Amino acid sequence: MNLTKDVELLDGLPIAYIRSLNALVVADLHLGYEGVMVKSGVFLPKANLKKIMDMIGGALKSTKADTVIVDGDIKNEFSTVDQEEFNELYDFINFLKEKKAMPVLIKGNHDNFVERYKEPFKLKVYRQEALIGGYLFFHGEELPEGVKKAKMLIMGHEHPAIGIYNATGIKEKLRCFLYGRYEGKPLLVLPAINYYAAGTDVNMQPASTLLSPVFRRTRVDGMRAIAIGYGSTIDFGSVSKLRKA
Amino acid sequence: MIEYAKEPFTDKESLGVLNKYVRDWFTKNFDGLTPPQRYSFKLISEGRNTLVTAPTGSGKTMSAFLSIISRLFDYSLEGKLENRVYCIYVSPLRALNNDIHRNLARPLEEVYDAIKKDRGIEIIKHNIRQVTIGVRTGDTTQKERQQMLAKPPNILVTTPESLAILLNSQKFVEHLKTVEFLVLDEVHELANNKRGVHLSLSVERLANLANGRFARVGLGATLYPLDEAAKYLAGYNGKEPNDCMIVDASWSKKLDVKVISPVKDLIYAKEGEIEDELYKRINGIIKESKTTLIFTNTRSGTERVVFNLKKRFGYGEDIAAHHGSLSRESRLEVEEMLKKGSIKCAVSSTSLELGVDIGSIENVVQLGSPKSVTRAVQRIGRAGHSYKSTAKGEMIVLNRDDLVECTVMLDAALKRHLDSFTVPQNALDVLAQHIVGMALAKRWDVDEAYSVVKGSYAYHNLQKQDFVALLNYLAGNYVGLESRRVYGKIWYDEKENAFGKRGKFTKVIYMLNLGTIPDEVAVNVVLEGTKRWIGNIEEEFLMRLKPGDIFTLGGKLYKFEYAKAMKCYVTQAQASSPTIPPWFSEQLPLSFELATRIGEFRAEFGKVMNSYLGRRKTAYGRTSRMPKEISDYLGKFPVDENSKTAIFSYFAEQLLYAKALPSIEMLLIESTADPATEKHYLIFHSLFGRRVNDALSRAFAMEIGELLNEDIGIMINDNGFMLVSDESLHIDSKIMQEAINDLSSGNLASDMRKNIRNTELMKRIFRHVAGRSFMILRNYKGWRIGVGRQQTNSQLVFKAAEEMDPNFPLIKEAYREILNEKMDLPRAEQVLAMLKDGKMRWEIIETPLPSPFAHSLITFGRADVVLMKERGRYLQYLHKQVMKKIGGKAR
Repeated sequence: MNLTKDVELLDGLPIAYIRSLNALVVADLHLGYEGVMVKSGVFLPKANLKKIMDMIGGALKSTKADTVIVDGDIKNEFSTVDQEEFNELYDFINFLKEKKAMPVLIKGNHDNFVERYKEPFKLKVYRQEALIGGYLFFHGEELPEGVKKAKMLIMGHEHPAIGIYNATGIKEKLRCFLYGRYEGKPLLVLPAINYYAAGTDVNMQPASTLLSPVFRRTRVDGMRAIAIGYGSTIDFGSVSKLRKA
Repeated sequence: MIEYAKEPFTDKESLGVLNKYVRDWFTKNFDGLTPPQRYSFKLISEGRNTLVTAPTGSGKTMSAFLSIISRLFDYSLEGKLENRVYCIYVSPLRALNNDIHRNLARPLEEVYDAIKKDRGIEIIKHNIRQVTIGVRTGDTTQKERQQMLAKPPNILVTTPESLAILLNSQKFVEHLKTVEFLVLDEVHELANNKRGVHLSLSVERLANLANGRFARVGLGATLYPLDEAAKYLAGYNGKEPNDCMIVDASWSKKLDVKVISPVKDLIYAKEGEIEDELYKRINGIIKESKTTLIFTNTRSGTERVVFNLKKRFGYGEDIAAHHGSLSRESRLEVEEMLKKGSIKCAVSSTSLELGVDIGSIENVVQLGSPKSVTRAVQRIGRAGHSYKSTAKGEMIVLNRDDLVECTVMLDAALKRHLDSFTVPQNALDVLAQHIVGMALAKRWDVDEAYSVVKGSYAYHNLQKQDFVALLNYLAGNYVGLESRRVYGKIWYDEKENAFGKRGKFTKVIYMLNLGTIPDEVAVNVVLEGTKRWIGNIEEEFLMRLKPGDIFTLGGKLYKFEYAKAMKCYVTQAQASSPTIPPWFSEQLPLSFELATRIGEFRAEFGKVMNSYLGRRKTAYGRTSRMPKEISDYLGKFPVDENSKTAIFSYFAEQLLYAKALPSIEMLLIESTADPATEKHYLIFHSLFGRRVNDALSRAFAMEIGELLNEDIGIMINDNGFMLVSDESLHIDSKIMQEAINDLSSGNLASDMRKNIRNTELMKRIFRHVAGRSFMILRNYKGWRIGVGRQQTNSQLVFKAAEEMDPNFPLIKEAYREILNEKMDLPRAEQVLAMLKDGKMRWEIIETPLPSPFAHSLITFGRADVVLMKERGRYLQYLHKQVMKKIGGKAR
């Protein structure tokens, strides 16, 4: 569905496409997640990277985009780059190169040390936030600074989702984009593309438990939840309305 | 071949197999041989696999051990007794281990003393040594273990888990290779669960290690079918079970039992009247008997009864509670006091049902139905000094369904019809654990390992492909080659057809995580949207909750919303009635066999009632006298007069009101509404036990929900289930037939999987499975991992594994455990097939108000202490409406 004339939310995918930049935008990949889990005694089979490549691969094909902007948290571990993580990072960047898409990284809170790979991988890495073609990309663990110059703000970090119950006892959690305003500018919050991050059901949690300081300054209840699931992307209306559902 | 020992041996034959010193000790200490001993001394001395079942107080322990002790003293007298293990005794209860140790230490000492006296200096010359015994459990200290390794006891007393650890202890294993006897105690506690499955694999591994036969001796209380228990004990050799003799002395104690209804009229008893009568009755029994043991089914019930007895009759320290939530010390104290006879009465939920010796109990009182014949017999069997005396028991019932249930139950007990147990078959999680253990011990040829596993009764039908799938899983073949070093716990070489250990942490992981009992903690209940903590529920209870379910906690009503790890989020639910009673998960489900028997009783008694009602001239009233034919019929059952009256009116009202009586011959489906909640109900009076009802109810809810395109709620209890909707559930026979046909078309299992995939039940059970198969760990490098963390981790694992392969062995196992153990899908499918083929009739009726047999289901959620009064009033209201319709007087 089209969010604006220039921004499209690709059907059924946690991916936004910006026409004027010919770029896909994704957030929160957390590559190497399984490897980190194994180290703490959870023998999690690997599924994340493959799933992400399937989704981005499909999106590149349908949009013919030539750039992939990662809006923070490409990898998982905070303190160091783990071997398994490095392997996955390497595979992912190579995959983008094969598809002839240029990776652009915005640093997230999990991305310490990622700059180390700037050179060998020939990556474009932004430390904090980046204004590209009027869009201000920032991860979201800190407040954005260049709001005034931007025509739209785009962030990740929060892993938003909505929770819905049906009477037969099945809870559905759907990842969603959140769309609202921040200091007068449109704000788009991206869902996590990580396979395991089912997300925070923003309609069930009190707003005070949300991670990003952005939500101390703007009300999540006033935002629209645009949910993804079963191959489509549907606007569910405002979060406040969903709280009552 | 499995064979029953038919004729007992003569005392001379039996005692003839013992060596002189042991025989002297026995005749000096005992009056004579007990029934099981007349078989077992000789059979066990011949080295035969022997299963002995006998009630408490029948000298079971000696029946197993005396021949073994005698054999060991033979060796000793020949100067051949070495420092190695000759006999392993395994019991699921640590407390029992200490008991056994104490009970055997004395004969060992006294026999040896006699030998010393007799032989004098010869004992040194001929190296006649004392037969030793030692206990090895999780409580055994490091120092004791070291000593045991240096000088292993001749008789090793241990638990299933410690045995598994010993099998992987490089040094100790050497002492196990020459074992001659294996004694498994409390077989009835093991055979029907994964802990027993785990033990059965340890036993087969031990047999493989010992390179040949050791005699297997099994001990159990009430247990049925014995043939299956014998196969569990003896194991399989290829397609055939190993030889085993069965000594069935379980009925050597006589039963004197009765169902008691505290009042004539269980519906209109005045407020508090039932309670008053109940406690009066119990007090009478306590006063008359030397010691009384009371069973209540739930922990809260236990506390309540103790409280009431003390308050009403001024008892003090002479009454005590005994249940699982009490500390080990206080439980031990109560057991000690019972043994000494220093208290008059103990009240227990289930914890005193088996195991430890509690001395002589004169009378057993059971409050409410224990839900299974076997359990009833076990509990009542706690009464009576020895096998020679009679076990006296009284069952006091509090509602009409309980009354019918207990009547049929005690009748079955007197006729010796027991409920059967089933051993979980092909549990892949337990097997995965043992494969790791096996790999740690040595390099295996795949076929050799497969045949060791198939030696266990629990795996004798195991498919090779399932075994290989587990090898692939454990070898980490589901991740890329370069990650296998971190994922793999074994290596598996397909070409070489072999597997073995891998990884330096694997042994540590194995030793710290083995076992089958999942970690469990209380679940915190929190008011949604706040941080307000309301109370705790047990995880078993959470597993049973569906979003929208309403339950009571601390006297208030809450609606279940969702759960996260170990937190359960609820909202307040003022103006509704609960849908699930808080003891639902604690209460044992009614067994299939007993449910079927109740169905038979309904059919038979229904005929007697129909013939009476057909001839009746005056209108039916509840004050009518019971006709003689009815009284005579019910007189064949072990019930008191109050019970007869109550059963009579219960059936009369159902027949007159609904003109239909659900029974084994006919499944009654009642379409009705509840005036209080304005909900519409479709009530299935299905008497097949709760596990079958659980599966059937989900199946019908799915099917009918789809046909009507509506969300349908479910409530189940032991006597049926109902579908609940805000809209009218108008189902005619044609639609029902369609639904039944659809459900028996062979897709039910896969539809059920979809249905349970996202439930709390599946999430929790998968955690248990993932823990047993080391996919998530409970203890990692010495750090305990919290249950909440385990839960979150297992949900991630489930997601990834399912994405990779929906038939991943451990996902398959979680579904199997739910559908075959938590529920009973195989039998539900049988029922559906019978309904489809017309082998069982079914009938739909419409009633303006629920018929009497449906009342317990309608008021089920209210069946809680706090709401007991409300429930009673509501029941009276429903009943009045029914009586108005059938022209009788309510009261």
